[in-house]
Amino acid sequence: MNAIETNSLTKIYSSSFGKKKITALNDFTISIPPGTIFGLLGPNGAGKTTLIKLLLGITFPNAGNSKILGKEVSDYKIKSRIGYLPENHKYPPYLSGKQVLEFFGKLSGMQGFELNRRIDEMLDLVKLEKWKKIKVKAYSKGMMQRLGLAQAMINNPDVLFLDEPTDGVDPIGRKEIRDILMNLKEMGKTIFLNSHLLSEVELVTDRVGILNKGKLIREGKVSELTERKQEYRIRVEGKLPQTITENLLAGQSITVLSDGAYSLKLNDLNELNSFIDQLRNNHIIITEVLPLKNTLEEMFISLIYESDKESVQ
Amino acid sequence: MKNILIITWFTLREAMARKVIIFFAGLSIVTLLITFAIIAVTDLNTLLQVQNQTNDPQIFKEIVSSIQLMIVNPLSGLCLLLAIFASSSFVPVMLEKGNIDLLLSKPVSRSQLLWGKYFGGVLVVFLNILFLVAGVWLIISFKFNYWNISFLYSVVIITFTFAVLYSLIVLCGILTKGSMLGMMLSYFIFLILSPLLLVFKEKIYMLIDNNIVKTVIDVIYYIVPKTAELLSKINVDLALGKPVSDFQPVITSFLFLVACMMSSIWLFNNKDF
Ligand SMILES: Nc1ncnc2c1ncn2[C@@H]1O[C@H](COP(=O)(O)OP(=O)(O)OP(=O)(O)O)[C@@H](O)[C@H]1O
Ligand SMILES: [Mg+2]
Repeated sequence: MNAIETNSLTKIYSSSFGKKKITALNDFTISIPPGTIFGLLGPNGAGKTTLIKLLLGITFPNAGNSKILGKEVSDYKIKSRIGYLPENHKYPPYLSGKQVLEFFGKLSGMQGFELNRRIDEMLDLVKLEKWKKIKVKAYSKGMMQRLGLAQAMINNPDVLFLDEPTDGVDPIGRKEIRDILMNLKEMGKTIFLNSHLLSEVELVTDRVGILNKGKLIREGKVSELTERKQEYRIRVEGKLPQTITENLLAGQSITVLSDGAYSLKLNDLNELNSFIDQLRNNHIIITEVLPLKNTLEEMFISLIYESDKESVQ
Repeated sequence: MKNILIITWFTLREAMARKVIIFFAGLSIVTLLITFAIIAVTDLNTLLQVQNQTNDPQIFKEIVSSIQLMIVNPLSGLCLLLAIFASSSFVPVMLEKGNIDLLLSKPVSRSQLLWGKYFGGVLVVFLNILFLVAGVWLIISFKFNYWNISFLYSVVIITFTFAVLYSLIVLCGILTKGSMLGMMLSYFIFLILSPLLLVFKEKIYMLIDNNIVKTVIDVIYYIVPKTAELLSKINVDLALGKPVSDFQPVITSFLFLVACMMSSIWLFNNKDF
């Protein structure tokens, strides 16, 4: 059974008396197995938040359906196993951090000693224990975000939806949040993450999906998506003699990155090895051979660029 | 049921955090103090003379009850005005972006959320009215040593009147996501439409001989909640221990309440956030 499953999910918003229609999500199908950290990436307005809202039954789809933990979301009881951190969350300003967790914990079906223990545990985890008696209207943005995360985890959910969880959080806090997420993953929880911070997503997610204008344009493992075909960086002591760069490598492209650093495009590993042999035969000392990868960000930008170009044509 | 109670309880806390409710409670306390002061210096002799002359305990009882009503009735009107103001934003605040998303992600059904907010609002007003009415009742009953239990029906009737108007406020809140429309309509019904219709029905209706106009007035009369009759007639009858002559205003107002809540729940269940 998949933790999250959608089938041709489509959402069309009609604004201002139905004159203008916005397809926020278009025929979106995905299956996410339990224990995965899934990152959904996409530019502003791509439909990321819309997808989460559809999954949680906050908004209703025009077509398609979805299941969480094997249940339709219209069955609201399944939500006791779900946690959610919305993108612009608001809490009653007159409640303290502890009372906010109490409220949402109770709504999730927890009570008594068990709830109190869990509240303390969560406040400790997000480092807000000193602030627990203070009204949330006095919280800073990053503190609100931490409280939001504690709120999302209060019921020890099996599936966690986080919309921009590190928004407004300082670098140390972000590292802490990453650690929390890795920890949850080890416990077998499924995490669905929306984020713009690609370098961060790269660090925690197992799989990513790329959404543009409501359409899923790519989905897969981070390593698969960022791999570049047979491109290597080679560093040597000194410089490569011209004979090698010009004659020995006829047909292959070699680019000088800087003195002693070269990037090399080859057809297969055999070519790489024979190239290394040539260098060694010429008594050149090799200090580094590195397969090159795109960063997630480079890949993201080029994908979105291509997809926008296609949709214009 | 448990979910409704949790929301109700936290709505009560929300109300407490609002200044209006504190003002509301403060007003009740001031009223009680003034009542206490006036009653303390009132010369009882005049009243007792009346009793001696007629020697009829019934008249004495009616006088005491009337004093209670004289204090409570205008005040309850004011209380309702305040209550409408204080409660009109409960639903719009719940529907705010960032708040409703979170609530709907919890294992709570939409109708439970709405009923929770509804009962929360009604409970706030009930507690305030209870405090006010029971306070006035205690002071006056002590003074005259006449304990007119039926006067306490006022708490029920005033709360019910509010509950009817509040269902309209909830409906308008769901429709517009704002508090203005609900508040305006409630004030309009409470202050203008309902008293006007009552006058029409009782005084002017007989003078009209156009059937169409009569039907139109009838339709409007039966649809609009009868806040004026609830407070002026039913409340007075009950407080004075008289039998209620006509329960029609209670029944039609209750139907209005049910219709508003059912439409609210239907709209809420089908709304995107
Ligand atoms: N309630 C709504 N009514 C009308 N249009 C909406 C509504 N909510 C979202 N949209 C539209 O749907 C599209 C997708 O919005 P969504 O909030 O899902 O984007 P997003 O990917 O989360 O963007 P961001 O990165 O800025 O958070 C946008 O074009 C937006 O204008
Ligand atoms: Mg978003």
